[in-house]
Amino acid sequence: MLSNKTIENIKKTIAKYPKKRSASMDALMIAQQECGYLTEEALREIASILDISTVQLNEIAAFYTMYNKKPVGKYHVQVCTNVSCSLLGAEHIVEVLSKKLGTKKGETTPDNKFTLSEVECLGSCGTAPMMQINDDYYENLTDAKIEEILKGLK
Amino acid sequence: MGNEFVGDKPRRYITQNSELITIFIMATVKINGKEITVEDGTLILDAARQAGFEIPTFCYQARLSRLGSCRMCLVEIAGQKKLQPSCVTPVLHGMEIFTQNETVKTARASMLEFLLANHPLDCPTCDKGGECELQDLTFKYGPRQSPFAERKRRFHEKDEILSPVIVKNHNRCIHCERCVRICDEAVGAKALGGIGRGAMLKETSFLNKELDCDHCGNCIEVCPVGSFMSLPYRYKSRPWDLVETDTVCPFCATGCQLTIGTRNGSVLRVRSKIETGINKETLCARGRFGYDFIQSEKRLTKPMAKKNGRLTECSWEEAISQAKNKLSSAKKIAGIASARLTNEELYLFQKLMRNVFRTNNIDSGSRWTDKRTTDALINACNLSEGGTSIFEALKADLIFIIGSSISDENPITDYLIRTTAADKRKNLILAYPRRIKLDSSATISLKHTPGSEDIVISGILNALQNQAVKTDGSQVSESDIATIAQRMKTASTISIFLGTDSLRFANGKEMLLGIANLAKALKASGKNIKVMPLLDRCNQRGAWDMGVHPSFLPGYKKTNSDGMDCTGILEASSKGEMDAIYIIGEDIVSMYPDAKFAKEALSKAGFIIVQDMFLTETAKMADIVLPGASYAEKEGTWTNQEGRLQRLRRALQPIKAAREDLSILSSIGGFEYKSARDVFEEIRKEAPGYQDISFDSLNNTGVLVKGHGAEKQGSRGQGVKGSSETKINPSNPRTLEPSNPYLDDYPFLLITGNHLFHSGRLSQKADVLKRLLPESFVEISDKDAAALGIKEGDRVIVKGKHHEAVLRVRVKQGSLKGTAFIPENFEDVPVNCFFKKGEGIPRVKISKQ
Ligand code: SF4
Ligand code: SF4
Ligand code: SF4
Ligand code: FES
Ligand code: FES
Repeated sequence: MLSNKTIENIKKTIAKYPKKRSASMDALMIAQQECGYLTEEALREIASILDISTVQLNEIAAFYTMYNKKPVGKYHVQVCTNVSCSLLGAEHIVEVLSKKLGTKKGETTPDNKFTLSEVECLGSCGTAPMMQINDDYYENLTDAKIEEILKGLK
Repeated sequence: MGNEFVGDKPRRYITQNSELITIFIMATVKINGKEITVEDGTLILDAARQAGFEIPTFCYQARLSRLGSCRMCLVEIAGQKKLQPSCVTPVLHGMEIFTQNETVKTARASMLEFLLANHPLDCPTCDKGGECELQDLTFKYGPRQSPFAERKRRFHEKDEILSPVIVKNHNRCIHCERCVRICDEAVGAKALGGIGRGAMLKETSFLNKELDCDHCGNCIEVCPVGSFMSLPYRYKSRPWDLVETDTVCPFCATGCQLTIGTRNGSVLRVRSKIETGINKETLCARGRFGYDFIQSEKRLTKPMAKKNGRLTECSWEEAISQAKNKLSSAKKIAGIASARLTNEELYLFQKLMRNVFRTNNIDSGSRWTDKRTTDALINACNLSEGGTSIFEALKADLIFIIGSSISDENPITDYLIRTTAADKRKNLILAYPRRIKLDSSATISLKHTPGSEDIVISGILNALQNQAVKTDGSQVSESDIATIAQRMKTASTISIFLGTDSLRFANGKEMLLGIANLAKALKASGKNIKVMPLLDRCNQRGAWDMGVHPSFLPGYKKTNSDGMDCTGILEASSKGEMDAIYIIGEDIVSMYPDAKFAKEALSKAGFIIVQDMFLTETAKMADIVLPGASYAEKEGTWTNQEGRLQRLRRALQPIKAAREDLSILSSIGGFEYKSARDVFEEIRKEAPGYQDISFDSLNNTGVLVKGHGAEKQGSRGQGVKGSSETKINPSNPRTLEPSNPYLDDYPFLLITGNHLFHSGRLSQKADVLKRLLPESFVEISDKDAAALGIKEGDRVIVKGKHHEAVLRVRVKQGSLKGTAFIPENFEDVPVNCFFKKGEGIPRVKISKQ
């Protein structure tokens, strides 16, 4: 069940659009902020608030990598593997992170601290390769830089 | 397909003097060197097809929104560097287009190569093999080589079962999105979506879970490959081993064209064909999956006669001669025939009853109030004046539907209206107490008290004439009525659709007279008005056209003396005044809105002959039971609710010793007709509207029946015309149950009708449909559920004055408070037990078990 506050916030955001369904992306994000990821129940509830079918909301949630479909750890490490980052070694970055964190991509460490994900372009191609951890960007990544960043996350 | 099915695309402009002008702009283009002039805005694809050039497509489907994603339809346009998708690109005057040069051919081959790169090519085990668009187009346009050596995408090893009728193989999907669009745009179920992205996109249900949808299988039908498959049909046959027969759906009166596939005498599937019939490739669950009743083990296969109080098998000779003797020797007789019989059978039935056994006591259907109400419907919809194409009716600026659970009763009509209402310039006004699927497409949804339709209609009429509007008792606001009247004033064409509630409710006659008056008033103000019925039995209109009615003959010619309608027949029988009753295909005990009365009445009949496919509750009371045939086993015609005459074709011989109803009727009457065609020739003479139609030339489009001639308007002669002039006095709904002292104890009005998966009791014999919804239910509004503390799925006691039942609850958001609905289809929940003749809409109490 979404909290009353979350529902309030979704309703507030709906008011910004001419049609309810236009608020789908905002609503998903608001719910994710509360639940950490989009549960089946949350999707059903949002769909009913927005008056759209559950599968249509599911389409949006599934298309964007920024929506978590599974629970994520304390730190959600999202590595961009789209073209620019890929050309500049994103796959290597994923490998390094995978080894350092001891988890495969798409998975979470047993202590629930880190989740490693591959995501699509984060609009920071100029500073590729890059990643996003929770809400922050880390750019022009190198092995050494990754070492440093991870040390800072305790 | 005739032009009737093609919409014209006028351009409307408002001039400076605020005049509306409509113009058609033409464009001349050259396609592969051939010049053609088409309406401006025509898609290149259509223009090319008109010019005789075939262009392959996957994602394009005429009735769906344009997607332009598969790129199979690429063409070259002179002066443009890139090839363009012809299914989304309109012609421009002067364009030069190439659809079959080398560039285009190479592009097509490459598109197929891409599609095949990820396609499993498991054709040997794929149901679609042999009728697969990917196979066919690859055969015709493919690259003939496959250099791709990478691993193919693979979602799963085993097919995923998404519902009792749908099984999905994601590996075969080519992402044309036809399934998603048909489900959204036509069906309106919005149960499918494209989940994921890129090659890993999955067209599936919410979280890939079991579908809770309409189970119509249209996603299966439109899928060009073997990705969506029918579970009941999977692995049953190769398509080329099937013998296919085009015929018409036996359930509602929408009259969908369907194709039965049989192999070695077994019915294996029903499908629909692209752009064929009014249904244009769509069917609903009952049409598509409700075929297994045809070969059900429960079919009656031998005649039976009552011996020592028990029905025992007997020979046809014995059964026929007994039936004949009883009917000719009895003094007072009557006949009731199902509106699912063919026109030929119904014609013969009335001829037998009238000419041989000398009675006008005949009726079709046993679910309605009385013949005065049917007469009012026949009059309000001008049935004697011939057919109206639904496509013509849907061109109206305003569509008003009242008294119909159209989404359940006439699903494909609902699809057609949904697609039409997507045009935002149109008004769709829906008046029905429960929330139904079509509500989401409506501009205005009225939720009125069941049985107060006449108040709503007279309210609109008064508002149109600027008189005071009173809506007391209808729970509809006066401002809604005013808005509707305002919209009607601004519309220049209006189509009114009338549902079967008008025949079910006690105020039906007032409602129908109201509609006739409303139509008249609108017509008088210069509008183009069409009034069409929405009927739930495939040949209800045909039954009336054929004169299966106590007061008129084929073609609505008035009889010399009126006979009794179904209620009259039962009343007479209950007084012991019926010596013999001949009933064909109608389960009166289960359907008549007062089960107890119907049963008692029939028990006092002198002799009962029942001709049916199954041993129904009514058949159990018979003295003679004659096993008839199913729609798949007969030839003939049906007239749908539009007045469209369509041809039934025989796919199989009648099961075991069962016989075609036409031949049974011929035997009893001693008639010498050899075939349905012979009878049809006679119908052409008797019913003027059928005069110009040739039986053999009836194709998949059918033919609209013409008017039966002004001097013979039997329906007008019923006193209906006179009364339609008089001012209607809507009955106050509180007086609908005048003597009901239980008002507060029984706070719900109980309404009934067909469930989406069912049609009368016939569909109950289809096991696949039973699987879709094994149990009956009672549906109430969310407000009532909250007030009673009841949740979806709870078991409740539904208690009426005469009957009670324990049922699961379904909660419907947006239905009218105080309204309960139980489908009339389930054998174990005979909803007609709640009804009492003369009491109108029954009231019930609902409480937690
Ligand atoms: S069966 Fe009908 S309602 Fe269900 S998913 Fe397919 S198209 Fe949609
Ligand atoms: S499942 Fe069939 S209809 Fe749906 S997108 Fe895939 S190929 Fe097209
Ligand atoms: S039941 Fe009615 S809507 Fe459904 S397929 Fe048959 S004719 Fe069409
Ligand atoms: S490609 Fe990685 S940020 Fe754009
Ligand atoms: S048919 Fe034109 S792009 Fe698919």
